[in-house]
Amino acid sequence: MATTTATITLNSSDLTGDALNLSTTTTLYKAGQTVGLENTTGMGRVTYTATVTDTVLFADDEYADAGAHKVYIANKATDATHYVEIKVEGVTLGRLYAGDWLFIPWDGAGGTDIKVTTAHAGVVVEYMAIFE
Amino acid sequence: MATTTATVTINSSDLTGDALSLSTTTTLYKAEQTVGLENTSGVARTLVAAAAATNLSSGLVNLFLDAKYTNDGAHKVYIANKATDATHKATVLIENVVIGVLYAGDWMFIPWTSNSTTTPIGGAGGLSTITGVDIKIATSHANMVLEHMIISE
Repeated sequence: MATTTATITLNSSDLTGDALNLSTTTTLYKAGQTVGLENTTGMGRVTYTATVTDTVLFADDEYADAGAHKVYIANKATDATHYVEIKVEGVTLGRLYAGDWLFIPWDGAGGTDIKVTTAHAGVVVEYMAIFE
Repeated sequence: MATTTATVTINSSDLTGDALSLSTTTTLYKAEQTVGLENTSGVARTLVAAAAATNLSSGLVNLFLDAKYTNDGAHKVYIANKATDATHKATVLIENVVIGVLYAGDWMFIPWTSNSTTTPIGGAGGLSTITGVDIKIATSHANMVLEHMIISE
């Protein structure tokens, strides 16, 4: 089995009077097991030459239901106004502004396509799923 | 303004023949600005005493209420399931839509706009609607511990 780890580090010396220095690591396992996730899309990169609305980035029917899949998406734009809106099942999760990334668990159930909407042409998105 | 950075590092030497070594850092800014986010809940820890109903119809924990945060904000949310038993899962929902499941030790980091709008769900035309985007957790077992934080506008 593969061993894949994901670490988040959050730092700020001036957000509050108590410096933020959080680091958490998880090993990516299959649902309810201690067996590593074995599949990945690899790191993809797409340039949206025109604006797009609700374009599917991850289609749920390509992934097992009730999986412990993990999804990474990053907006590689450098202009602060060039955001990418992320939806799951039509519900807006949030907007990735220039340089922002997300890392979410995703169970791949029917009707949970992950979709992107771009605010401007030319936005570059990097993405990867690690899945069962 | 505050300067807060978030870094994700994903590593694997054996997931594929090409070793995975990803590291990305972002500075957390307000929406469409280069001014840092200024507010936070701090890193909180919640012991959820009772499990949610299996069908997720009751017992959910409201971690972040959209009404408390600015619409269209570039808020960021961190949630971690601190369980150590692999079967102890925390299901993450936006209102009543399941996003995914945090298994023992898993964490997530997402942008969150907190818009309290009515959204059709269930495909084209919408089979139903939800109002709001509260972030909720359903725990599979009693006495599970969650860590969570929002950094907001």
